[in-house]
Amino acid sequence: MKKFRNKIKLANMLQEAFCKLKKAKLRHLKDKFEQFRYKCSEVAKDSHIFYTAVDKGWFGAAEKIKTRVNRNLCDFSYQLQQFKNLSDSEEIKLPKLVVIFADLNQIEDEFGELKFDLEEKTISVITDSIELDDIALGPFEIKLFVDQMSKLYSSNAPYKVIALEPNPAATDGNVTHPHVSSEQVCEGDGHIAIRVAIEQGRLCDLFTMVANILKTYNPDSPYVALSDWEGICCYDCGYTVADDDCYYCENCEHDYCSSCSSYCQICETTICMGCSYECPACNQPVCSTCTAACSECDEILCKDCINEEGLCNNCQEQREEDEDEELKEKTTTPDTIPAVQPDSLGQTRIPA
Amino acid sequence: MRILYINNDGSGYADYINIAENTTIDQFFAIKMQGQQESDHLIRVNRQPVPRDYILRDGDRVTITPRKIEGATY
Repeated sequence: MKKFRNKIKLANMLQEAFCKLKKAKLRHLKDKFEQFRYKCSEVAKDSHIFYTAVDKGWFGAAEKIKTRVNRNLCDFSYQLQQFKNLSDSEEIKLPKLVVIFADLNQIEDEFGELKFDLEEKTISVITDSIELDDIALGPFEIKLFVDQMSKLYSSNAPYKVIALEPNPAATDGNVTHPHVSSEQVCEGDGHIAIRVAIEQGRLCDLFTMVANILKTYNPDSPYVALSDWEGICCYDCGYTVADDDCYYCENCEHDYCSSCSSYCQICETTICMGCSYECPACNQPVCSTCTAACSECDEILCKDCINEEGLCNNCQEQREEDEDEELKEKTTTPDTIPAVQPDSLGQTRIPA
Repeated sequence: MRILYINNDGSGYADYINIAENTTIDQFFAIKMQGQQESDHLIRVNRQPVPRDYILRDGDRVTITPRKIEGATY
């Protein structure tokens, strides 16, 4: 009996909330009308300036205004379409109390249990355990916040999807389902139908549609794809990363995270830290195919640090020094030494 | 005769429509959801599941909701 009375109270609370929602929609329509009216006035103002510019022969100015008008017209058509969609929509007929009560009973029949909290003003259902592509995601609670229904047009959806036995994606703990992030579901194909169901007070349809979104996997647009749900383990440090944060070393053919991978500075191939070689001359990481040995000292360097003669800088300098030395030696041989006057020969005048 | 028809597919639809007498729910689905499979939809009449040969009556409330609705990131 108490449960029956509480359900009646809940139905009353919902009826008030639907009434507020209807008013919120009209206010939202008023805001859209205002935005549309403002855009119209902008276009009218620009057209007046344009006429003046053309009449006075200010054709450069007229061209600029024409560009601005063209830009505004794009916004204008968007605003117009939004306003038209809203004004085209059917008048919301508030459901009667008996219809709301019947809806609550249907929710219980479909989901096995209807949980509600009159103080917090929430209504919840719990889905069956969801499994997609052999990945168990557990059951979810779909919780509707009755007070937030009137904010349908200005903020997030007035319900949350809460994982009760979470098995989130390895790369993002907030993603508990491919289409749920931070307890908000991405309604996708169901977006408009869900909105209409809330407006018309068909809460069982709302819960059913959300539950069906959770049971359906759309591989084209998930927050995290099921194939990456467990993530990819870096071969070096073991850190789990998302597929697009992963780097493949073409040398050892393993996957690495960004911290454990690099790329060859010469050929730009992706390589892991283990397969990269740091050139001792320039300190740049290179792959094994971009290294070469100096023909003189046999040191392994990157190809950029080996010259055309196959020498490293040090050996090249050494060779040049050696050549200079040889040259100097050649220039100091005896037949080239000029004649020096012998001792005690000849006299010379020494001033006082 | 007149029934309330609620279709939660696509952009949603909920209104009264006229249908011929002695139309079964099976026939109604085939007319309204051409090319679609009944097994892909949840069909309720007056909020209850009904057999395929259920004959619709004046004032019935028929709801059709797709079982597969693809979510997406925005």
